[in-house]
Amino acid sequence: MTGAAQAGPRPGVAGQPPGKGTGEPATAIPGQPDMWVLVLFEALVFTAYFAVYLFHRSAHSELFLRSQATLNPWLGTLDTLLLLASSLFMLRCVQAARAGAFRPALTSACITAFLGAGFLASKITEWVLLVHGGHGFTSNEFFAYYFFLTGIHFLHLLIGFVVIGVIIYQLRGPARRSRELVETCATYWHTVDLLWVLIFSLLYVVR
Amino acid sequence: MSRTIAESVTPPGPPAGSRLGRIAWHWRNNSKRELWFAWYTTVVFYNIFFIVFFPVTHAQPPPHPYWSDAQVAYWFNHDHDGLIIGFAIIFAVAAMTAPQNALIAYSMRRMSVSRAFGYSYLVMYSLSALPGMLLLCVVLSVGALRPGRDPAQLHWLYDFGFLSFTGTMGIFLLGSLVWMLAILLDKNRVLPKWFGYLNLCNALTEVVVAPAWIFHRGVFSWNGLISWWINMVVFGIYTGAFITLLRNMILREDFGDGPLPDIKKNPEATASALAGTAQ
Repeated sequence: MTGAAQAGPRPGVAGQPPGKGTGEPATAIPGQPDMWVLVLFEALVFTAYFAVYLFHRSAHSELFLRSQATLNPWLGTLDTLLLLASSLFMLRCVQAARAGAFRPALTSACITAFLGAGFLASKITEWVLLVHGGHGFTSNEFFAYYFFLTGIHFLHLLIGFVVIGVIIYQLRGPARRSRELVETCATYWHTVDLLWVLIFSLLYVVR
Repeated sequence: MSRTIAESVTPPGPPAGSRLGRIAWHWRNNSKRELWFAWYTTVVFYNIFFIVFFPVTHAQPPPHPYWSDAQVAYWFNHDHDGLIIGFAIIFAVAAMTAPQNALIAYSMRRMSVSRAFGYSYLVMYSLSALPGMLLLCVVLSVGALRPGRDPAQLHWLYDFGFLSFTGTMGIFLLGSLVWMLAILLDKNRVLPKWFGYLNLCNALTEVVVAPAWIFHRGVFSWNGLISWWINMVVFGIYTGAFITLLRNMILREDFGDGPLPDIKKNPEATASALAGTAQ
């Protein structure tokens, strides 16, 4: 094991803005390097899911195209825009935290959570509409993949709310503020966003 | 820290000579003998588990969930001896899971977090052997020991066994989350943070198997590409990681209550750590 892997969070100096002059060294990788293990591992697992999906899609292209046509592309686009906007505000949160502007950072974190909640509401609405339209988890292969991929992503996003909670907790207490932890949490949130962009492309866009 | 305690009670090191002599020395003098016992028990158990569940009983990878009554009855008949011998071995060694759970709970006990983490994990994983292993063994043994039974009843046992084994992952999900939380909150550097995050990946695979209750065929069934094969790869990496990391933890253990020291990368230091003596 490397020392870097074992190193815990390096907290910023209490009450001072992180970054320059805080004693918290700038690192080549944002956040804890350990979080990137999760990013890499989740990327590999989702790549495996996508590969299985694409393999079955090529085997049943007619069915998949027909089923895809029943999805509401506007709701899918709205989901994507909400998450991309949330990523933008997460970025603003990190930048503000780095500059020591904790109040704007806190505001950005709250807006990120609000946009994420909007995504969840939109996703639940879409699921309800589909089920009422007779397209459930067991309707056909496409919808099995659809509910599985959007469901497992939904779960990741729920964990993202815990992560935003950590950021807010960090930013609210001058003694707790750590640039590294804010960056680590942001890395997770961006990963979940990236996964959604890929899922959206595969389920809604690819023909 | 109480590092000096270990130094004062342990002789310099094991004697040169026969392997048996060295083992006897460690048994009597190694201050980490209980930890090493638990670790070796873990390694031995997983080896037995793999051999029994894969080549001996053919219970893993699981056979098809969509088989007819006649096919299930044939499977019980075909693997009759393997099922009986294999699961007899599992019944004999099932208690080996206890030292493993104790070692994992010890890792949390050594962290700078509340004892509640270790104890709650211990309670949860004490229960986990039942749905996670023993129910399948009992049910498939019953099927194999009564080959003349109605095929429909054998099919019921078959479904019950594999669904209970594959589908009851709540305990493992919560256990992984408890361990993850302990690692991420810990300040004693007992286990690396990346392994905390890997616990999250493992916990999520426990959710992925849930569709196995619904689907009889395809990638989400109990032997499907997503529900079984991809999950098994994640579980294999996770298990390999925690066995290696627990070994490193024992090597680094100083029986204090502060951060665990790093092991210097030289043969003498490693030998000393193995022998439970301080540098």
